[in-house]
Amino acid sequence: MSSPGTTCKLCYWQPSGGTTVSSQVLVDLIKSIESMNGVRSGRWQVTASQHRPIRRDQAVQVECARELLGVAFSEAPNKYYFVLRPDHMVVEADSTIQSIMENLQVYRNHLTVVFEGFQYQLGDFHVKAGRAVIAHSENLRGIVLEVEYLPVSSLGKTHQLMQEFVDIWQEVAAQSMTGRIVHLEPNFGDYSLSDQYSWQHTALQYISLMVHFLSQRTN
Amino acid sequence: MHKYYFFFQRFLKTIFYSESRFTASMHVEALQVLLQGLCGGRQEKLKIHEICLKSGTNLGVEASEVHLLCSLSQTDPVWTVRHVGGPMRGAGAEQLPAHVRSVLESSISSNALRFFYALGYKMDYELVRIGYVFQFQRVVPITVTATMLCKVPKLHAIDEAIPVTPGIQLVELTAPASTENYSEAVGAISSFAEHLAPLIHLSKPGVPTGVVPTASTAAASLVSRGAMKVS
Repeated sequence: MSSPGTTCKLCYWQPSGGTTVSSQVLVDLIKSIESMNGVRSGRWQVTASQHRPIRRDQAVQVECARELLGVAFSEAPNKYYFVLRPDHMVVEADSTIQSIMENLQVYRNHLTVVFEGFQYQLGDFHVKAGRAVIAHSENLRGIVLEVEYLPVSSLGKTHQLMQEFVDIWQEVAAQSMTGRIVHLEPNFGDYSLSDQYSWQHTALQYISLMVHFLSQRTN
Repeated sequence: MHKYYFFFQRFLKTIFYSESRFTASMHVEALQVLLQGLCGGRQEKLKIHEICLKSGTNLGVEASEVHLLCSLSQTDPVWTVRHVGGPMRGAGAEQLPAHVRSVLESSISSNALRFFYALGYKMDYELVRIGYVFQFQRVVPITVTATMLCKVPKLHAIDEAIPVTPGIQLVELTAPASTENYSEAVGAISSFAEHLAPLIHLSKPGVPTGVVPTASTAAASLVSRGAMKVS
């Protein structure tokens, strides 16, 4: 998401039954974007981290969130976002909040997923395709696809338009690939996020996708 | 990277210890006139709801503390989270005329309090600071605040806040510094403090400096000059 007046839809690639996701899937999806006359406009990266509370005495329970999730965007380097899923909360802060949390030493980084890839421009749409890997490894967890519509920031007004775009992309991809583009939409209302799209919405979408990819790993 | 702040503060309480409320008000007004003259009138009102949170039992490597500041001087409240480290120690630090602390700040969305509660923090205390702030550009940017501390009688009832020491204000000078520009920042803040010397002696927190003998005369002179400029 590059400017305030936009909406963004986050998807992932679900291979057909029996097949696994691979780096070749990303190559093929990028080809499908280029075949729709998408123009490569740069690289992007999103870092999503899972933190766990630190207990001084392991035998004693602590009244606190069991899991703290954080997101940083290469496109918004001065901001940082937290999500608490059981509390239905998205928090926006400056990137210095990470140093504050390090100084407080109450939560410890448990796991980080890095989403990274290329961005393309197709008229009023920005499309991103990338891979999700566990940090410091080449352990591929999934393929992420993001569609951003630049002129309008109302989720309600762009819902159908975004879906139509994804459907077209799906048709193009289906010519050479087996699988489908799946949208994983969190319930923004549960998190008190309004119809006006913001970075907080994007943060929540990436967290939801991270949780989805990690849950697939354990299955 | 940490920011370091040189931190001068003292309560005017020491100066105005035996003064009446009216006299204290005159000193406060005189300081305002003096600061306005020094900075060219860039004064801003300050009203901050400050909440101090402490980590819950058994949470974290060690007990920790974090401050949430809600600025009420704008139309929409603006929230900031602040972590203040302990003062720098060692023989060199002792010699410095100000405390050096690591201070980290971040703006944060308005659900900050609920967020820190969810992380296991508990409220320790809350207060309201009302006063004014001046910004000065010297070798380093210097911020001077003069604030009245108010206690909050009921949870979050900030409209009912009552001054802890009526007519008495806390004056603080802060400036950002890095490990490289210590000496510059110390020099700038010390020389700035000299400008206020006829009214108030600034020192490290907890170091008493006594009453400034010239305070009453200087205050009367400044207030009358301020009144002349206004008229």
